[in-house]
Amino acid sequence: MEYWKDQHEPIIAFLKLFDKAKQDQELFEGLKKVNQLIWFDYTEDGPDCSFYVDCRNGQVTSQQGKPSEEPDLVMSLSADDAHRSWSNKLNPVMAITRKKIRVKGSATGLLKLAPKLKKVALIYEQALNELNFSEKILK
Amino acid sequence: MFGNTGKIVWVDLDESAAQIRTLPDSYYTRFIGGAGLAAKIFWDFGDFHAAPLSPQALLIFMNGPFAGLKLSGCSRSAVAGRSPLTGHWGDSSCGGHFAPELRYAGFDGIVLEGKSKFPCVLFVEDGLVQILPAGDMWGAGVFDTTDTLRKQFGKKSRSLVIGPAGENLVNYACIINEGHHAFGRAGYGAVMGSKNLKAIIVKSSEPRYLAADPESLDALRRELDSRIRNSVTSQVFHENGTAANLEGAVHMGDVPIRNFTSSFWEEMAEALTGSTLSESYLTNKGACAFCKIACKRVVEVKEGPFAIPKGPGPEYETIAAFGSMLGSMDLAATCKAGRLCNDLGIDTITAGSTIAWGMEAYEKSAICANDTDGIVLTWGDLDTVVKTILPDIAYKKGKLGKLLGLGSFQASATLANDSWQWLTISKGMEAPMHDPRGGGHGLALTYAISHRGACHTANPMLFMEMGACYYPEIGFEYELEPMSSENKPESALLAVQIGAIENSSCFCQFADREITIPEWVQLFNYSAGYGWGLEDMMSAGLRVFYLQRLLNYRFGLRASDDDISSRLIEPAVDGAPEGIEIDFNSMKRRFYELANLDETLGIPDHRTLESLGMNDEANLVWS
Repeated sequence: MEYWKDQHEPIIAFLKLFDKAKQDQELFEGLKKVNQLIWFDYTEDGPDCSFYVDCRNGQVTSQQGKPSEEPDLVMSLSADDAHRSWSNKLNPVMAITRKKIRVKGSATGLLKLAPKLKKVALIYEQALNELNFSEKILK
Repeated sequence: MFGNTGKIVWVDLDESAAQIRTLPDSYYTRFIGGAGLAAKIFWDFGDFHAAPLSPQALLIFMNGPFAGLKLSGCSRSAVAGRSPLTGHWGDSSCGGHFAPELRYAGFDGIVLEGKSKFPCVLFVEDGLVQILPAGDMWGAGVFDTTDTLRKQFGKKSRSLVIGPAGENLVNYACIINEGHHAFGRAGYGAVMGSKNLKAIIVKSSEPRYLAADPESLDALRRELDSRIRNSVTSQVFHENGTAANLEGAVHMGDVPIRNFTSSFWEEMAEALTGSTLSESYLTNKGACAFCKIACKRVVEVKEGPFAIPKGPGPEYETIAAFGSMLGSMDLAATCKAGRLCNDLGIDTITAGSTIAWGMEAYEKSAICANDTDGIVLTWGDLDTVVKTILPDIAYKKGKLGKLLGLGSFQASATLANDSWQWLTISKGMEAPMHDPRGGGHGLALTYAISHRGACHTANPMLFMEMGACYYPEIGFEYELEPMSSENKPESALLAVQIGAIENSSCFCQFADREITIPEWVQLFNYSAGYGWGLEDMMSAGLRVFYLQRLLNYRFGLRASDDDISSRLIEPAVDGAPEGIEIDFNSMKRRFYELANLDETLGIPDHRTLESLGMNDEANLVWS
C-alpha cells in the first residue's frame, strides 16, 4: 500500500470520515437518500480491511468489517484507491471503466452522493488532520 | 453474404414502383453499414442539387450488420439524406424494433426517391414490397396511426410513422417507431412528408440471421450480453432511465439552463432527475428489441395540468430540453411535452432549443408580440408551450408556429436581427443537452466537426471525457480532464473513428461501452464475415468520417463551417465551469493537422484519401 502502513489505518480514517459526515446536515441528508446497506470492500489489502455504511430507514451507521446482512451494494477496490476516491482525486467513472473499482449491486443510491464529493473531500481532510494523518492528505 | 443480406429496397414513389437492388460486398467492408453505407449510396446515386424536400431528394434507411442479432444494443438503424434543417448531409439513429424486422424481411435498407401522387404507406413483407394508399391516415397523430397500422398489418408488424409535423414539412419533424423510438434529428420526418409517405411497415415470417461463424458469434454474444446487462451504467439506466445522473450532471455544469445562460440550478437538479421520474410517474420500463438494459420509460401523470395516460416517457434529452432549457423544473410538463412531440412527430431537442432561443429573443425584444400574434414567450411557461406553441409548430399555424417551425438557425436568419447571438448551434443544428463548458471542452470540438451539426452521438467524446472509455489497443489509455483542451484533438481523432463504427454498425452507445476494440473486430468478423484486423476496422471508421465530410463539401460546406455558437464556448457565469475559457480555435487547428484536413476546404488531402482506397472520391473533389 502506498498510503497506509497496515490494513487498519484506512478503516480508522474512513470510519472517522463517516462519523464527521453524519454531523454535517447536508451530507447526513444526502446519505439518508442513498437508503442502502453498502459494503466497502478493501480486503485485497487485508482480511480486516473493509467497513460498511447502513443508510437505510432514515439512519446512518458505519462499522468496520462485512455486514451480517446481504449488502445492497458492494464496492471493491484497493485502500489506496479508496483514499484517492474520498480525497476526490479519483474519477469514479474512469475507475469503474478500468476495473479499479468493481461494483456489485445497484449504484443508483450512490449517484445521490456524487454531487457532494467535493464536500466529502473537505471533511475527509479534516478527519485525516484530527487523526494525525495529515501527511496522507493529497494535494 | 453473412450478417447483411446484400439487398435493399429501392422505391420510386413517382412511379409507385419498387425494385430489389443488390450492393457489392466491398460497399459493406469499406463503409460498414448504417450511416456509412447510406453515405456511400448517396455519394454514388444522390442528386447534390436536389433540395431536401424536393421529389429528387433521396431518403435512405439503412441497417448495420448486427441488426437482427439477439444482443443488447444492436437493434438500431440509420436514416440519412440531405437535411431540411441544415441543408447539408446528415443522418439520424433510432432504436426500437424496426431494424431487426427489416433484416428478417430480407433487406439491409430502403432507399426512397420521387414523390407519390397520393398519401401512401410502404409495406415490406418477406421480400414483397407494396405501395398502398393511406389517405385516411393523413392528418392523424403518430399514436393513432401506429395503432391503425397494427390492426391493418398485424401485431407482429413494425412501423415507422410521421405525424402532422412531417406532413406539414416542419424542418425538424421526426420519424417514430412504435410510438416511442425516434429518428429524431435533422428533419427526416419532413422528407417522408414531402414524398407523401405516411409510414413504412415491415413484417417477416421468421427471424433469420445468417452469421459467418455462428458458434464463435454465439459465445461472444452471450459474453457481451451478460457484461452489458451487469454493467454499472446499465443497471443505473435500467433503474432510473437515461436521466439517472441528471443531478450529478447539473453539479458538473453539463446540463443547459435557460438557453445555456446558466450552468447551475440546484433545486431543478433533484426535481428533474431520473430517480424522481421513477418515484413520481414511472409505470413500466421499456426496451429496444433484445436489449437487457431497458432504459426506456413508460409513464403516467394521473392528475394536474399536464396529466397524460400511460405511455412513452421522456428520456434525458427531452427532460432537459423541456425542463431546464426552458427554465422549468416541472417534471410532469416534460412528460406531457415529450408525449405531444412524439404524437405530432417533432424532434424534442430542436423543439426545446428553438423555443428556448425564442424565449430569450422575446425577453431581449428581438422577437416582439407582432411576431407571435400576441403569444407571450416566458421562461418556465410550459402551459403555453404545450397548449399552443408545439401544436402551432406542427401545423405551421400563426406567425409564431411558422417562425419556430423553421428551427432556431433559419428563424434567426428570417428575423435578420441580433437574435443570432443566442443561437446554440453548429452547422445549423441545435446542440443537444450537454454543455461543453461543463460536460467537456472536447465536446465543443466534436460538435463543430460533426457532419450533421452539433451532436453528442456522432462520436463518443462525451463518454471519453467522463472516463467511460478505455481503448488501450488504439492508444486511448490516458485520462482526460473535462474542463481542459489537453489531449482533446488527439482524442477526437479516435472518437470520430469509433463514432463512425458505432453509427455505421448501428450500435447503441450506452451498450457498446462494454465492448473492447478486439471484441468489436471479432463481432464484425463472426457476424458479417468482414475478415478485418484492427487496422481494417479503424480505417473503415475513418473512411466513413471522411466520406461524410466530402458529401458536405459537395453541398458547399468548408472549414469555416466547422464552427460553434459563441454561447456554447464563452465562459460560464456560474456553476462548476464558471469563468473557464474553452480554447476552441487551438483544438480545431490541431485536429485539422492530425486529420490531414485542408485548412480552407475542410476536406482531407488527396494522399490521405488514397491511403484509404478512396481514389475515386479524391479525384472527384480534387480535380
